[in-house]
Amino acid sequence: MPCRRPALQFQTEGPVSVHLVNHHHGQPDSLVYRLSAALKLGLALVIIVVTVLAPVQWRAWFIGVAVLLVLTAWLSQLPLFFLSRRLLVLSPFVLGVVLVNAFQPAGRAKWMAVAVKSVLCLLTVILVSNTTPFSQILRVLKSIRVPTLLITTIALMHRYLFVLMDEAERMRRARASRTFTRGQRFHWQTLATVVGQLFIRASERAERIYDAMCARGWK
Amino acid sequence: MNTAIEIADLKYRYHDGTEALRGVSFCVAPGECVALLGPNGSGKSTLLLHLNGILPEKLSGDGTVKILGEPVAPKNLETIRRQVGLVFQDPDDQLFCPTVQEDVAFGPQQLGLGDAEVAARVQKALAQAGLADFGRRATHHLSHGEKRRVCLAGVLACEPAILILDEPTSDLDPRGRREFKALLRQIPATKLIATHDLELVVELCSRAIVLDRGSVVADGPVFELLNDEKLMLEHGLERPHILRHQHPH
Amino acid sequence: MHIPDGFIDGKTAAVTAVISAVGVGFALRQVRRELPPRRVPLLGLSAAFLFAAQMVNFPVAGGTSGHLVGGTLVAALLGPSAAVVVVTTVLIVQCFLFQDGGVLALGANVFNMAILNSVIGYMIYRMVCHWLTGIRGRVTAIAFAAWCATVLAAISCAGQLAWSGTIPWSVAFPAMATVHMFIGVGEGLISALVFLAVCRARPDLITETTLTGQPQRLGELVRYGLLATLGVAVFVAPFACSWPDGLDSVAEKFGFGHKMAPLLPAPAPDYHVPGIHWAVGATAVAGAAGSLIVFALALLMGRWLVPKPKDL
Repeated sequence: MPCRRPALQFQTEGPVSVHLVNHHHGQPDSLVYRLSAALKLGLALVIIVVTVLAPVQWRAWFIGVAVLLVLTAWLSQLPLFFLSRRLLVLSPFVLGVVLVNAFQPAGRAKWMAVAVKSVLCLLTVILVSNTTPFSQILRVLKSIRVPTLLITTIALMHRYLFVLMDEAERMRRARASRTFTRGQRFHWQTLATVVGQLFIRASERAERIYDAMCARGWK
Repeated sequence: MNTAIEIADLKYRYHDGTEALRGVSFCVAPGECVALLGPNGSGKSTLLLHLNGILPEKLSGDGTVKILGEPVAPKNLETIRRQVGLVFQDPDDQLFCPTVQEDVAFGPQQLGLGDAEVAARVQKALAQAGLADFGRRATHHLSHGEKRRVCLAGVLACEPAILILDEPTSDLDPRGRREFKALLRQIPATKLIATHDLELVVELCSRAIVLDRGSVVADGPVFELLNDEKLMLEHGLERPHILRHQHPH
Repeated sequence: MHIPDGFIDGKTAAVTAVISAVGVGFALRQVRRELPPRRVPLLGLSAAFLFAAQMVNFPVAGGTSGHLVGGTLVAALLGPSAAVVVVTTVLIVQCFLFQDGGVLALGANVFNMAILNSVIGYMIYRMVCHWLTGIRGRVTAIAFAAWCATVLAAISCAGQLAWSGTIPWSVAFPAMATVHMFIGVGEGLISALVFLAVCRARPDLITETTLTGQPQRLGELVRYGLLATLGVAVFVAPFACSWPDGLDSVAEKFGFGHKMAPLLPAPAPDYHVPGIHWAVGATAVAGAAGSLIVFALALLMGRWLVPKPKDL
């Protein structure tokens, strides 16, 4: 089963970051957005765990969860188009499982179970992550004793994710503007140089961030 | 204490051996607003990084820097950094926390203040920077001008005696520049501003120091220096338009 | 290779979560010990770098595109433990922010892509660097190591899917392994090119200097190796037993004996379907041949990209 990571799509004019299409900033005035992050994450975890462990016969559970999720989706005011597109990401995976199990005697039950479970779990995560500011998610992780170094690293990654993506896009465009050959090898070399430059810039920025942290008293 | 900043014969070399600073000396009195001018590559940023001990990486005895009478040395970096608030050139380097509130609170928290005091300082600093209801905003969503103001707020929250700014208005649109200048005008701390924005210099600063290739080439009142067209052109600057059409006071 | 929720079952999720937690915990401790404070932001920035780099699409013939996963690259640049932390960070952010990869499946994804990929990639990189010196050697090493790491991670992923009963091993292993033997070529090529670019522009930024013969890494690598072996034993070994040996003798070889037998799932009936059986063996042979071919290609690439140094 080939695994294809979905490529992020950009509506680009100017900074990439704000127009990231795979993530929604959430509607701050929706009911769901205002619930506490710990509550949402805890509930999501329970739903995911039980859904994954539940045997196929527990139809009531699957139906109940589906109803709850649809209700939450409606209350969250997240655009339907956005939600359905995010769910479609699963399709190649599910298709793979369907194909493999289609010729098995007990296949149908198996692939349906996988399809239903994965859709329900994914929808849960989509709803939580698009109605909760990431810094709150981090705070919850911190409260369950995830090590500080990891939390800091995740926080910094999140903070500079968009900065670096913008830089990568700007470099790529600048390179593309000066690319007049169509040679494949040249293209790879150019892209590799861009990625290499990105690492160098990231490293230099990391040092400046360290200086900025020290300047405000970090020990 | 009659000097806020005292630099004597400061020298610095980059890793590849090029001389960045060749014996820089000057003083800044408390409450003064001094502009640090010079073409790109003159060593302005490098000089500023010496003022809170980030540079030199190793003490080499090449000149002295004194902040409020205290020499900058590894053992008193903590006190120095409380007194000196450095606003970096690239706001993305300085704004490393996820939300505005957390970033502005970073400094006071590092100072060891209690939660209530930290919250009070954050509120005050944000208000000073004109960002009163920006607390919950995510830092990566801010516009460039807003980022610069948050950086300033983050430094103001530490209530430093000396404020040092590295190119604070570059990349800002005219409105952003106006707003930032208005902010700076209201801050009573001693200010040292490295900048290319000559209009800002004319409006806010009383004194200017020109740095070129690591040496101080001029140090005097703003109007005198900036009106000296020959001096300006020689060191990669120019006489600002605002002075051409103005009567000197 | 990000496994979504629902594709692995409870026991697989639990076991991988435990193994990964141990591995990541160890990596964090190691990083805290050896990384100077100055470099702490570099971890977060490297994670952001990796993510941004994964956005860059390298065009491959036929309109498809390859992209970098990067565990081996980061390991060569910053060391294995830092790579584990960095890739784990990327996976966590991808999971919670972009819903790429499941929450319960995080343990499996971290094991495959953060631990196995980075650590085995690093080990192979070091081994090859030992034989082939100089920049040329490093380029060859990283290309080959990245390829191997990609294939191994894919095999581990297949094992987890099979252990969960989602897809039988006889299908998952050939499919995942062969596809990733091709994907791995791109990974190896990109990793090598990027590494070279960094080496040439700012060699001082590479905090992992492998050629100073640091024996300290040995203890670290042994511990990771044990963890990786455990994972492989749980996810791959039971299926590798569809070879004539049989389940029991493999279990005995690994020293688990009968006390592990109840935990290992009984092979489902389809494992013995005669027609499909050969696919597994064929894939294994292809893998062995493939690694020799890739190694030769990596050597050639090293020569081509790095001109012979004038002074030795």
